[in-house]
Amino acid sequence: MNHSVLALVPALPLLASFLLPLVPGAARRLVGPLTLLAVAFIGLNLWPLVQTEPMVLAVGDFAPPLGITFYADSVSALFVIAVALVTLVLWPWSGSDAGNLDRKQSLTLILAGACGGLAVSGDLFNVYVFYELAAVASFGLAAGARTAAAQIATFRYVVIGSLCSLLALLGITLIYVQTGTVNLAHLAQLAPLKLHNPLGLAAFFMILLGLGVKAELFLVNTWAPDVYATAEARVSGLLAGLVSKLALLAVVRLLVLIFPLPEARDALLLLGMLGILSGEFAAFRARDVKRMLAWSSIAQLGAAFVAFAIPGPAGLAAGLAVALHHLLVKPALFLLADRWGGSLAQITGAARNSPVSAGLFVLFILSMLGVPPLPGFWAKYLLLSGLAAQPEGLWWLAGAIILLTTVVEAVYLFRVIGALYGRDHTVTPKTQSATAVIGSGVFAAVLLAVAFSAPLLALPLNRMAVQMADSAAYIARVLPPVLPGVAP
Amino acid sequence: MTEFTLYTFLAASLGLIAIGIGGVILSRNLFRIVLALSIAEAGGNLLLVLIGFRHDAIAPIIEPGRALTTMVDSIPQAMVLTSIVIGAGVQALALALAIRARASYGTLDMGIMRARMEADINRVAGAESAASLHAPASSSTLLTERKA
Repeated sequence: MNHSVLALVPALPLLASFLLPLVPGAARRLVGPLTLLAVAFIGLNLWPLVQTEPMVLAVGDFAPPLGITFYADSVSALFVIAVALVTLVLWPWSGSDAGNLDRKQSLTLILAGACGGLAVSGDLFNVYVFYELAAVASFGLAAGARTAAAQIATFRYVVIGSLCSLLALLGITLIYVQTGTVNLAHLAQLAPLKLHNPLGLAAFFMILLGLGVKAELFLVNTWAPDVYATAEARVSGLLAGLVSKLALLAVVRLLVLIFPLPEARDALLLLGMLGILSGEFAAFRARDVKRMLAWSSIAQLGAAFVAFAIPGPAGLAAGLAVALHHLLVKPALFLLADRWGGSLAQITGAARNSPVSAGLFVLFILSMLGVPPLPGFWAKYLLLSGLAAQPEGLWWLAGAIILLTTVVEAVYLFRVIGALYGRDHTVTPKTQSATAVIGSGVFAAVLLAVAFSAPLLALPLNRMAVQMADSAAYIARVLPPVLPGVAP
Repeated sequence: MTEFTLYTFLAASLGLIAIGIGGVILSRNLFRIVLALSIAEAGGNLLLVLIGFRHDAIAPIIEPGRALTTMVDSIPQAMVLTSIVIGAGVQALALALAIRARASYGTLDMGIMRARMEADINRVAGAESAASLHAPASSSTLLTERKA
């Protein structure tokens, strides 16, 4: 496969999103799904190729570090596939009117393109641009519910988001001042000399907070509960499930390649722990299912930050497991919360009308809690064993916090199960919509498939983590050493 | 332009960022928040231009027949163009949202709007507003169940 196919990952959805309003008739509704299938196809073809050797594309043949670099290893390939397929499941198939539907489909395609771009970007400024693109598309989608509450929630999201983007830009500026490059491989090469100092760390913290907005990092996640409560279910699913993971991936690339320092890891660990604590306790206090899911999403992303803070491939494997598990579970729960998003009193006895959806809800909740043999168990197992292998007290504290908050998690999640299977003849709970059942059914099928093949998946997961952790190989692949006597 | 002016501009850009961030945090009026945001972004953009600037250099354009001399760094300029475009788009979006919200809620005060939004969310969810901070979410359900 030609390397330039990498550029299609962001380019194809972006092109399709702008051409979509021009396509006449019924074919217009096919543009998005077909584009996403094409991206998934590219990802699936990429997957076997990048297992041994990551793929590098120098856009326009400007050799790195000068031009724009796209870089795909197995983690990127996996996320490209995930972006395409998850967007396809959460695709806006129908809308109130045609114009509105066109806009939603275009924005969703932009979001998919930007997420794909984040997965394969090999330079810091491209990360920033794709991140902003994802941000703008998600602002539009979040406001798409067209209620006044959604507009205010989105306004706050825009303000927090753009302030933190400014912070990220300042961080990139600081890095550029010290190194004169934004290419990740080149930065990784120069980092030990030029960036492992207080100024470099300050730049990392700025970028961490900047990109952390989308990854629901503690301190900059105050937008999340309001937006998830007011936006459409599939938009909440996309933001909590997909966009947060890609922002996380960008942060982790920086951590692994440029700032593999204990201070940077401690920052991730502490913010992650605070995210877990605040998220779980706020979810415990939440009065409606949607905001409960939003806060628990913050807690789980906190756990992912904690996992990625663990040094070495063990941490990356645990982080990937936690992140991918959340990617499967949270969008499905948000889809089901579309009709069951209100207070517990509103959904009392809902299991009698929609037994299948209630069963799916219970399945996802059990996996979230980490009941074996569901994938959530393996994610938590990897995370806790990774933390336990660390020598210091702070790591063990994180492990203790995760175990303790699991109890809190169990209390508020079982409350929902209790309500679903409870009995109250005074309320008639809503039945589930077909799209929610089908969408969450797809996620449940993948979840069960992962549960049954968990022993087989350990090897590829470890291989991905080892490949991602190998920063020397990343540098060598992007910037091959120039041999004497060979013309560059 | 001398070194001294360069440092003046540097201080000015940092000042603009500080004013902008302070404005976003301290204002309650939606329009002022957007204005403060644009001030902060202007500061960021100015800083980005300044880091590539040299007072003794020329614009980075290579022309035939002109000797190569010191040029300003063109990469931050390319970055700042991108950042200006993104900033303008986001500010327009924020303003549009503020106008819509003003039309529905009849105010531009962030505090009032947040309270109304909170009430709206609770109303849609069928949850009572948080009258007591100590009551867990399910206590009301359990009570009604027991009564029934």
